[in-house]
Amino acid sequence: MSHVQPLEKGIILSIENLSISFGGIKAVDNLSFQIKEKEIFGLIGPNGAGKTTAFNCITQFYKPNHGSIRFLSKKDVTVELNEHAVHEIIGLGLVRTFQNVELIRELSILDNVLVGAHIDYKTGLFGAMVKTRKAKKEEESLRCEAMKILQFLGIADKAMWPVGGQPYGILKKVELARTLMCSPRLIILDEPAAGLNDVETLGLADVIRTIRNEYNCAVLLVEHDMRLVMDVCDTICAINFGKFLAKGSPKEIKLNKDVQVAYLGTQEDQV
Amino acid sequence: MKKLLAQIKAYPYTKYILLGLVLATIPSLVYFDVLKSSYVTLVGVVMIYTIVSLGLNLLLGWSGLISLGTAGFMGLAAYISAYMTINLKMPFEVTLIVSILIPVAISVLVGLISLRIEGLYLAIATLAVSEIFRKTFAEFEFITNGFSGKSVRYPTFFGFFKLDTTMTYLLLVVFMVVIMILIHNLINSHVGRALNAMRGSEAAAQAMGINLLKYRLLAFALATALTSTAGILYAHFIKYVEPSKWNLGLSLNILAVIIIGGVRSIIGTFVGSLVVFAVPDLVLKQIPYFGKIPNFAYIINGVLIIVVILYYPAGLIKVFNDGKDAVVKLFKKSRGKTV
Repeated sequence: MSHVQPLEKGIILSIENLSISFGGIKAVDNLSFQIKEKEIFGLIGPNGAGKTTAFNCITQFYKPNHGSIRFLSKKDVTVELNEHAVHEIIGLGLVRTFQNVELIRELSILDNVLVGAHIDYKTGLFGAMVKTRKAKKEEESLRCEAMKILQFLGIADKAMWPVGGQPYGILKKVELARTLMCSPRLIILDEPAAGLNDVETLGLADVIRTIRNEYNCAVLLVEHDMRLVMDVCDTICAINFGKFLAKGSPKEIKLNKDVQVAYLGTQEDQV
Repeated sequence: MKKLLAQIKAYPYTKYILLGLVLATIPSLVYFDVLKSSYVTLVGVVMIYTIVSLGLNLLLGWSGLISLGTAGFMGLAAYISAYMTINLKMPFEVTLIVSILIPVAISVLVGLISLRIEGLYLAIATLAVSEIFRKTFAEFEFITNGFSGKSVRYPTFFGFFKLDTTMTYLLLVVFMVVIMILIHNLINSHVGRALNAMRGSEAAAQAMGINLLKYRLLAFALATALTSTAGILYAHFIKYVEPSKWNLGLSLNILAVIIIGGVRSIIGTFVGSLVVFAVPDLVLKQIPYFGKIPNFAYIINGVLIIVVILYYPAGLIKVFNDGKDAVVKLFKKSRGKTV
């Protein structure tokens, strides 16, 4: 991957001039930002600002029209994400959650978490079918790892329960646990606090910080809950109508005029 | 002794081996005149269709893809194997491998074209391919013997070890039990979880590094491999292959097997196969007046499908499990009272 310009030291993700449009609507328009290693980075904006679309471009669910997305992969090589298929992204060390929890209802919580370890399995089809000793060992060790993560998130006692019918707070945690299985460099959380109550949201802030410290990874989150964003983020980037608005520490963003206008409207609007 | 029993109970393959052992006693029961000799053929056919249906269950139940060409691929394997053992005088072992590989190769080609797009395209493509096969079976007389059908013999192993009816029947039992165990392992492995993820949420599957096309192809190829195995066994157990058998009706019957028996249940697939392929001959035809109605079994199957979907979406296997739980509960209760 020599043709990709290496990232500066300390930067893990760099987005430059990202644009994507659907029909005539520019969902993301010339967006650029950078995320440092071990940083908790918040992407905020009013409804329809293009946050989730930007996420989907980074994780290659959408192929952007313009722009580059450079990422420092697990092997410490800078890669251009646009050159990878959507299922290859997790192997590079970039993993995501979904706004509306995407889990497999019929499987147990533990099995759902193990889906996150899919790329770590070396056993082939034949090994899986005849259950060779190697396959057994591999399954055993990854199962242990999954249990450790469930313990860390405090839901180990529910490991064998099916996912279908669990409360939303638990489901969000299961999705979080699933992302941790691949020892990621950057976790992308799409509205992690949506549907959680106040107590759960407070707990979530602690969990996000602990994940950053324990797993040594950066976190990029989109969130509507301003208390969570202001509480947990090191840096915040605000966007509106797909365009960059402001970037800075939570304090700076709070005081930024443009951001206030985007969220609350101007004086004339209110009259 | 109690410990040993508990150990046997905890062993994951116990139910499959137990089922195999029970089925293996049928020829001896026939020998001692407890059962009619037609039971061997009937149960043998049920086992063959269990193998096919396991393939479709892997595809529809676990992976969420629909194929309507099951019968065509089964017939293809049956004809290839018949041609190889009778006309080319090939050993059964070689026949088995080649007659599985050719349909699987064709299914991969069909899959490569139709599986890129999600949804019902596989169903349409397989239906079309299956109909092409059916026409081919009737027209290519130098291989298939056309409408007069092709006679086959029981399998011969290593060139000299000829099997008789009972031995072939036992071969079917071994095949079915081994396949059940292989599938049990597969669906409990990371491959099984990947198939489940593909059905449950395509977005999540992709985000977790599961290549959708690869795993769709894998599921389809595995299903075809099982279908082909069953086709080969059918040809060499019934000893006769005719072109009109491999029609859409058979494909739909196999679909009925997994819906009635149990989606995503291995033992349930056997139960469904028993209901769809044995009950008509054993029970329905004995009913006075109604038994004489042609295709009465189809009507019953249709009603059964509706009833099962309405009241037991997990299949008839759930009825058995519920019954077992109820008996265990009753047993525990009565024991609790006496103590």
